[in-house]
Amino acid sequence: MKISRRNFLKGSATTLFLAGFNFPVLANADKKKNLVIIMLRGGMDGLCAVPIIGDKNFEKRRKDLILDKTIKLNSDFALHPKLKNFHNLWQNNLGAIVHATNIPYTKRSHFDGQNLMETGGHIPYAIKTGWLGRGMKLAELKGDGLALALPMPLILRGIPSNDNFYPSKKRLPRTELLQLLKSIYANKSEHDLANMMEIIANRSMMNNGGTSMSRKNSSLALKAGLELKKINGPRVAVFEVDGFDTHAAQGGVNGSHSDSLIEMDSIFKSLEKGLGSEIENTLILTLTEFGRTIEQNGGRGTEHGYGSAIFMAGGLLKQTQVYSDWPGLKKKELFEGRDLNSTIDARSVYASAMSTVFDIDFKRIQKEVFWGDKLQNLSDKLFKT
Amino acid sequence: MKNFYRKVAFGLGPDEKVPSDPLEWANNQLNNVPEFSWKGKILPEKELRGYYREWVYGDRKVLRKKFKNDKDGYKREKNKLRHATGQKFWWNLELCIRYSEALKSQNPVLAKLWYFWGNHFAISEKDFLAQYTTGAYQREIIRANMNQNFEKMAQEATKGWSMIHHLDNEQNIGPKSQSAKWAREKGKKRGVNENHARELLELHTVSPNCGYSQEDVIQMAYIMSGWRPEWGKKRLETGDVHFDPNAHQPGSKIVLGKKYKSGRKGLSNAITDLVNHPSCREFIAMKLCRYLITDNPTKEMMEPIIKAWEKSDGFLPEIHKAAIEVAFHYSDQYNKFQNPENWLLQMSKMADVDLIPSPAFMDLYKIGNKPIRDQRALEYLMDELGQHPYLAKQPNGWSDISEDWMSPELLIRRLVYAREAYYKKSGNSQTKEFYEEMIEKNYDNPGEILKIIGQHRELVHKHVILFNLPETLRS
Repeated sequence: MKISRRNFLKGSATTLFLAGFNFPVLANADKKKNLVIIMLRGGMDGLCAVPIIGDKNFEKRRKDLILDKTIKLNSDFALHPKLKNFHNLWQNNLGAIVHATNIPYTKRSHFDGQNLMETGGHIPYAIKTGWLGRGMKLAELKGDGLALALPMPLILRGIPSNDNFYPSKKRLPRTELLQLLKSIYANKSEHDLANMMEIIANRSMMNNGGTSMSRKNSSLALKAGLELKKINGPRVAVFEVDGFDTHAAQGGVNGSHSDSLIEMDSIFKSLEKGLGSEIENTLILTLTEFGRTIEQNGGRGTEHGYGSAIFMAGGLLKQTQVYSDWPGLKKKELFEGRDLNSTIDARSVYASAMSTVFDIDFKRIQKEVFWGDKLQNLSDKLFKT
Repeated sequence: MKNFYRKVAFGLGPDEKVPSDPLEWANNQLNNVPEFSWKGKILPEKELRGYYREWVYGDRKVLRKKFKNDKDGYKREKNKLRHATGQKFWWNLELCIRYSEALKSQNPVLAKLWYFWGNHFAISEKDFLAQYTTGAYQREIIRANMNQNFEKMAQEATKGWSMIHHLDNEQNIGPKSQSAKWAREKGKKRGVNENHARELLELHTVSPNCGYSQEDVIQMAYIMSGWRPEWGKKRLETGDVHFDPNAHQPGSKIVLGKKYKSGRKGLSNAITDLVNHPSCREFIAMKLCRYLITDNPTKEMMEPIIKAWEKSDGFLPEIHKAAIEVAFHYSDQYNKFQNPENWLLQMSKMADVDLIPSPAFMDLYKIGNKPIRDQRALEYLMDELGQHPYLAKQPNGWSDISEDWMSPELLIRRLVYAREAYYKKSGNSQTKEFYEEMIEKNYDNPGEILKIIGQHRELVHKHVILFNLPETLRS
């Protein structure tokens, strides 16, 4: 099958006719909207997660990694068969994909790439804050971030007082002790510490009995969903999934890349469950440092590449679609002759998402979060504005 | 003033007397680098790098090929290889060595500064460096040079295998070099990797305050091109670092207006100039003050340290003494929020917590076996506290800004591990009298503190409160 480059820009035909009827923004302005970012560390293979259908180049170069029984999304793309929860969202018009996209980083180091996917910059380690933190600062969302991790991830830096949740295996001290510390902190004008102790004391009451919670992403996501649902709860959450760096035994449906994709899929499921109807006012996006080579290597794995894909979910999506400016997979169409190219700066997607969820003009985000870099405003194409 | 002992070290332990002259007490610890107080096995970096080589080679060249269709088999064999190369053990041993210096040596002030320098020339989380070689690098290149000039430490850290590999200098190849030409003939592209050069300028010496340009970074990368591990089919990237003239960019280079001839000597000469640049001493003086005193050091704090540097030509013992004196001078006005590692060590020292497994117990470990759970206690603990010293996320090391250590989960860890630590204390330190004496010795407001913890009857609760009071969290 041959796909021309511009084919997908218009969105999928079935819902296209609805797109003209945009209602004024008013109705949305006072609603609490949530943004969730799932960081996929190690280099998520967009072509394994969302393979192209019927491309001879692809089939030839990846003989041993082609998946059986993929789920057909449209005439051109399929979905990894283990992504059942995402497929479920897709069927309910709550899932979409941006393909052949990545942050503008081409050097293939995890180390530098993960730094850049979080800072949104061009030079590794040059920027000490995260794009999400800077966006939240612009939106004045102090205290509205929740990281499902122990250290505060770089992506959220740039705005103080974020919360995090990554349950300790040990039991918290009794509530009176926490209250005592809180009052000591307050007396000594340690306001940040007092605020945190307040959060902790509330947590200890919720979790009385002290059964330690699991740190599995699926249970963290359930918790996060319940928190995001609250009207005075956090508005931003960040997850991390490791293990996408599959140089060997990447395999087919049951390979090692599948394990990490399944973990990502479990986050979608639990978030949906926790959020309930608030999934309607939520946007969930994935983020990775790079994709992987098209060609399989000697160990039936893949090497570090460039273009990848972004999974998106939630009711703030405009429609179910695979949005792409597909570059093709012929040798000369590949980046440096080996990787899927990136034709959409992934930061355009994230900037548009922040614009939609935080109700801030795209141009302001472009200017103040991404230094005026050349980014496309994709809000109308991808999200409900 | 008593918080000085906690500020520049880890407080005073139960067997230690309050020194009559605090400054003399601290300064006397800074002239020499004594032997390690850890009495168990200590392996040289080179031997540990050998284990790392076996791991990398075995995984990359053998197992990945052998088990290309067998995910579970690959996992199983990889786990065997981990134990065959001591992957789960060495860093625990290194943590024992590291923490003995804080808790059991005669020079805790030197230890606190050792942690500073290890973090300044950080080897952050990459591959499996932390599990094999980072601890040894911090012993052999950082601590061993703490009675030398800063330049010597900078020269050795920059050309050490750990840093060269960590910052990708092995991939830094002059685009006009012989190696790049050969690669081009084979249709491959080779060029500079400016990572290490940039960090040498930004993080290790002059800092962006000196105003270098992107062109300076590239020129520095040209100077550094060719400094790489000696490659071998079995050694892979784990060989000793040497200068490979074939990968070196020919022609002279200019960094910060100064010209450097092509060749091996360029890097040493450039480092000499960088460490003698005024921005370098200003930057390091600022960082020392930030580590010991406050997030926002003033000019007045930095000045005596810069002066000591100039007077002694960058002699570290003199720089350290100046920094300690400034810390002493400001100890009543400023309290620094302690990172989790320093907080843990402070608690362990003052409250006599049995933190470190014994040398005899650690030496029971046999290569090839899975370490016993208790032999891995420190690794788990540091991970739980959120600051494993060998797993900083970025080359700029762990943050020394207070805000970065404040999050609800990180605070929860201090609550629950204070409690855990209490149960690791010897029986005779679990008395009210013990705490009264310890508080008297280590805090400036013992009366107030005793009153606060007096509100709880059980000793374990008193302990948890004490080590989470602002007076302890900050020192």
